[in-house]
Amino acid sequence: MAGEKKYKAPNKATVAEMRALFIDPVPDERKVDEALKHLKYLVEKYRPLMLAMESCTKCGHCAENCHTYLGTRDPNNIPTNRADLFRKAWKAAYTLEGKLFGKLVGAEPLSLDTIEKMYSYFYQCNECRRCAMVCPFGIDTCEVTFAGRQLLHWLGMVPKLQAQVGAAMYRTGNHTGLPKPGLVDTCEFLEEEMLEETGVEIKIPIDKPNSDVLYIPSSADFLLNPNTMMGAAKFFHYLGVNWTMSSEIAEAGNFGLLFDQRYTMRHNIMRLLNEAVKLGVKKIVWGECGHGWRTGKMYVPSMADRPIPVPIVHLHDEVSYYIRTGQLKLNPEVNSNPTTLHDPCNFVRACNMADTLREVITAVTTDFREMTPNRERNFCCGGGSAILYDEPEMYDLRIKFSAKKAEQVRATGVGEHGEGYLVAPCSICKAQLYPMVEEHQLGVEVKGLIDLVGTALYPPIKKND
Amino acid sequence: MEYLVLQILPYISVTIFVVGVMYRLGKWASARIVHNIVLTPAPPTLGGAAVNYAAEVALFRSLFKGDKSLWAGAWIMHFALLNIIGGHIVGFAFLGEQFKFIGTSAELSKEMSNLLGTTFGIVIWVALLYLLYRRFAINEVKLVSAPADYLHLLLLLGIVTCGNLMRLIPEYGVHYETAQTYFIQLATFQPVHLEHINFIFVLHLLLVQILMIVFPFSKLMHLFGMFAERWIINRPYVEPAPGLPGVKVSASSSTTTVTAGGKTTAGGV
Ligand code: HEM
Ligand code: SF4
Ligand code: SF4
Ligand code: SF4
Repeated sequence: MAGEKKYKAPNKATVAEMRALFIDPVPDERKVDEALKHLKYLVEKYRPLMLAMESCTKCGHCAENCHTYLGTRDPNNIPTNRADLFRKAWKAAYTLEGKLFGKLVGAEPLSLDTIEKMYSYFYQCNECRRCAMVCPFGIDTCEVTFAGRQLLHWLGMVPKLQAQVGAAMYRTGNHTGLPKPGLVDTCEFLEEEMLEETGVEIKIPIDKPNSDVLYIPSSADFLLNPNTMMGAAKFFHYLGVNWTMSSEIAEAGNFGLLFDQRYTMRHNIMRLLNEAVKLGVKKIVWGECGHGWRTGKMYVPSMADRPIPVPIVHLHDEVSYYIRTGQLKLNPEVNSNPTTLHDPCNFVRACNMADTLREVITAVTTDFREMTPNRERNFCCGGGSAILYDEPEMYDLRIKFSAKKAEQVRATGVGEHGEGYLVAPCSICKAQLYPMVEEHQLGVEVKGLIDLVGTALYPPIKKND
Repeated sequence: MEYLVLQILPYISVTIFVVGVMYRLGKWASARIVHNIVLTPAPPTLGGAAVNYAAEVALFRSLFKGDKSLWAGAWIMHFALLNIIGGHIVGFAFLGEQFKFIGTSAELSKEMSNLLGTTFGIVIWVALLYLLYRRFAINEVKLVSAPADYLHLLLLLGIVTCGNLMRLIPEYGVHYETAQTYFIQLATFQPVHLEHINFIFVLHLLLVQILMIVFPFSKLMHLFGMFAERWIINRPYVEPAPGLPGVKVSASSSTTTVTAGGKTTAGGV
């Protein structure tokens, strides 16, 4: 039968891990039937998906514009061919032309093998939407990947990584699985760190009642990207904002977007809205996380089960507003290393944030160099949608997916003397790029954007004298 | 054969075309736009979105930004196609004298009509050949093509070739008057009586009707897909107002009333 290892794919979640997501995996002999049912349901429900199935002209323009194809030259990574995993089955089962003419019109009945292939190639897509941007019709293969992963989730086929993160969210309200004492401890540690660094007493509050602002950090910022957490704290402190985080939802990311846009996504969103009301805040401010902000900005309105109680904004939009209105005194000289910016796909192609990022970065650094292409035409880092797998063959794919990014960074010359900054204001981009800048020997250090805002607001004491 | 192609088939093919397209569009319409998946940068106003929409539909802007040679082939092909379809309609309606309305004499108008028709006929033929060449020559395009993708181009090439033969070789020529008569007879459900018809003309009509029958069941529906998909991803987006509660606002900026910003699509799953 379809061998487990015929296609490169991340390890699947076990039955127990799937049951933690309230899914009973479908046995192989029923998979094709179930998949066909889900396929029909999804295609007939989501119009962008329907249009991807039915109006692609196969012009091929998307091929050279997908970094996963560029990095691997694997024909299945051409966006329209990725969509074909669905399209062929859709045509064969549910269209007249497919039933009559079969292969001639690109129809092919669904098989167990195709389902394995879906598992492989839908999890080789970074959901970066560059294909949608370049397609003459705007056909969004990311929508097909979303639907594909939804279908696989319902069959019980989810990578361990996504499944474990999803379950951690149910359990603790963040992806890292940190319980409240852990969060509080970390924050205290970071407070001390900031005191030592700047001489200023800056708080990082958790579950503080009567706050005005609820800050939603990426949970990776507690441990992996502490400078991002401290940067945000410095910014709020500077403006005297009465802010807090919540131990119930200390997570900007929403893996629901990435593998289950139903229960997992909604559960996370409702948790957020509940907390906002419980804490009585007036505004929710989102931290550095690309896919998370896409969810927060674009999917909360369509997923929420009740009206959204308070406005939801992004930290960078706030920072740029206060820069624009001249209310921040910044010392960009402290960030004088050659700096380039990686535009997170979700920020620039799905959240309108390209200008904002530039307004901020040019105000807090002195040697900023654009990479090309940039803004909405930027290429993904290769980690998008958290395909951050560590199994050797998947890790090898991550290196290939980031080849285009490496080429772009190198062309800016920021890393020539080994002291460049690569600003990547997205938690997943950071997780991907930390190892990738080493693999590609780029001579740069990966930074968050708000990290640099923090240092420009409160320069370290040592550097000041 | 002639009787079938000229008298019977047109009613069948037009019916299939109309019903098929409506069926397909109905199917699309019953699927919903559930989430807001606007592609950014998105303009804040409807006017701005309309400009983007028009630039995509009329000029293939995304294609232009990404691949100039594909853009040239595709845009020229479609521009010529649009003119040819338009030319068929006004040409047959006014017997080539349509340019009288912009002040030419009847003879000059006929000459212009013929010249334009011939030119676009040759242009589209070349553009189609280029697109076909591309399908064979560029590896990525080959990798994504199904047999039907080649056949569509061959079908169009067949139609255009017949058209050009009728234009360029007097022996196969068909006059505007003949075509007009034919359409009137068809439209009024009269038996078709035509003089000077030839094999090429019949073949041209047959291929066009095959195109009409295939149309609703093929990627040619991209004609409508363009409008439908752009309507989803080229929308305006209004950003929520910035400004944090409790922060004193500087004199230069007005106090912000916080609104839940951002146009969304009809929500709910
Ligand atoms: C508003 C109307 C239309 C728009 C905006 C449009 C747009 C496009 C675009 C952007 C492409 C992709 C580029 C390419 O592959 O060449 C394409 C391909 C194509 N279009 Fe259209 N189209 C329209 C109407 C039509 C019509 C009415 C026909 C024929 C009856 C047609 C026939 C084709 C064919 C055959 C291709 C594929 C070319 C190839 O294989 O390379 N189009 N169209
Ligand atoms: S660019 Fe769009 S129309 Fe062209 S092959 Fe890719 S998805 Fe299809
Ligand atoms: S979303 Fe990105 S990774 Fe996925 S197919 Fe499109 S361009 Fe490739
Ligand atoms: S990981 Fe970063 S670059 Fe890559 S898809 Fe997310 S936002 Fe895009």
